[in-house]
Amino acid sequence: MGNPDKLIEKIKKEKIRPKPKWIFSLHNSILWLTYFIFVLVGAISFSVILFAVQQTDFELLSHMGHSKLELFLSILPFIWLILLIVFILGSLYAIYYSQRGYKFTFSKLIAINVGLSILIGTVFFIGGGASWFENAFALRTGFYQSIQKKKEKIWQNPDKGNLAGIIDKVEDGKLEFKDFNNNKWIINIDSAFVANAVFLEKGEIIKITGHKIDDATFIAKEIYPWGGKEMKKKMRKRRNNKNFK
Amino acid sequence: MPVTKQICESLSDKEIISKSVQDVEYFRCIYERYEKKLKRYIYKISNFSEEEAEDILQNSFIKLWKNINGYDETIKFSSFLYRIVHNETVSLWRKNQSLEKVKKAYYFENENEDENPLKEEDKNNKKILDILNMLSEKYKEVLVLKFLENMDYEEISDILKIPEGTIATRINRAKKAFAKIIENENIEIELLK
Repeated sequence: MGNPDKLIEKIKKEKIRPKPKWIFSLHNSILWLTYFIFVLVGAISFSVILFAVQQTDFELLSHMGHSKLELFLSILPFIWLILLIVFILGSLYAIYYSQRGYKFTFSKLIAINVGLSILIGTVFFIGGGASWFENAFALRTGFYQSIQKKKEKIWQNPDKGNLAGIIDKVEDGKLEFKDFNNNKWIINIDSAFVANAVFLEKGEIIKITGHKIDDATFIAKEIYPWGGKEMKKKMRKRRNNKNFK
Repeated sequence: MPVTKQICESLSDKEIISKSVQDVEYFRCIYERYEKKLKRYIYKISNFSEEEAEDILQNSFIKLWKNINGYDETIKFSSFLYRIVHNETVSLWRKNQSLEKVKKAYYFENENEDENPLKEEDKNNKKILDILNMLSEKYKEVLVLKFLENMDYEEISDILKIPEGTIATRINRAKKAFAKIIENENIEIELLK
């Protein structure tokens, strides 16, 4: 008996059947789906990192005597950086084991995956998805503190010259003000620089640099908007009202 | 109807594959077409005995049969088949590596022309294979595929599942390593003289 006969006999005798086509299609589809999910989560992680950078206020907080890196690290949620790395590596793995993945060099695969994560992540960030997602994530997970909360902590530090909260009342040369811990303050704004985006009116959330006089009085040096989605909405509304008038 | 050699010869690889799925008898055509080539390839990359090579081939063709529906038609069928045989050979070779060393020593001490099918083909090939065996696995496989199997970069890339650019670099390095061994051999020969 020749070798080809032996082979055919074995196949027939052991009733060996080819795996159905759908198994291969399913395998390939799962790999591509995994790839896209990994790229997407990587992109979201990148957008949250961008959001963290945006919220760091490097220039404003430089008087605190910390380096920019220190400030960034204090606000950056490392979980997102780790997720970005893990999901980029995961997407590399998924695409490499797809049918034609081996055609790309490792450097090309990294460039494609990192590029996609950066591109989608930037679009997600510009669209406001990063702050929404990060906040929703913080609300649903007990262990995670949102960037906003971290930012509030940094700005809730009157002894170091940082204060943030909501304007209660505007008077000549001073503000009645409530910080995020509901402490009431009188803010002297006589010699303060007020950023263009700030409207000194009741309900406005602002951040202030300056120095503390006592537990209820603060002299403002610079006043900036708190930032974030709410501020953007207000700005848009004001612009529309202006154009309408 | 029995599948004769004439019928096999009239069909392309892809036609045989699609007919095999309907009637397993056609699968013998693929075996007959590639048996000698693949057996030679197994010898070249592994130094396995003829019997072992036959076993590898049988196992590889069973794997091919099981995975026949997963064949990606954008690559050459021969590349797909070589990939399966290559992987089967290499995994067995790695398993038997320590055993292989012992066998190789025996092979060189007890060379028997009848037992070594390569001897019948070309004595120069034997010398080349000895040098190839001194190279690392990743260099040996690209050199065998490129220069002994006469495959192009795309085929080698599809067999080894490595990008074509990496294949080019690896061949280049393998050639240098091969030349170095030849050089060293010559030095040894000159010293002996």
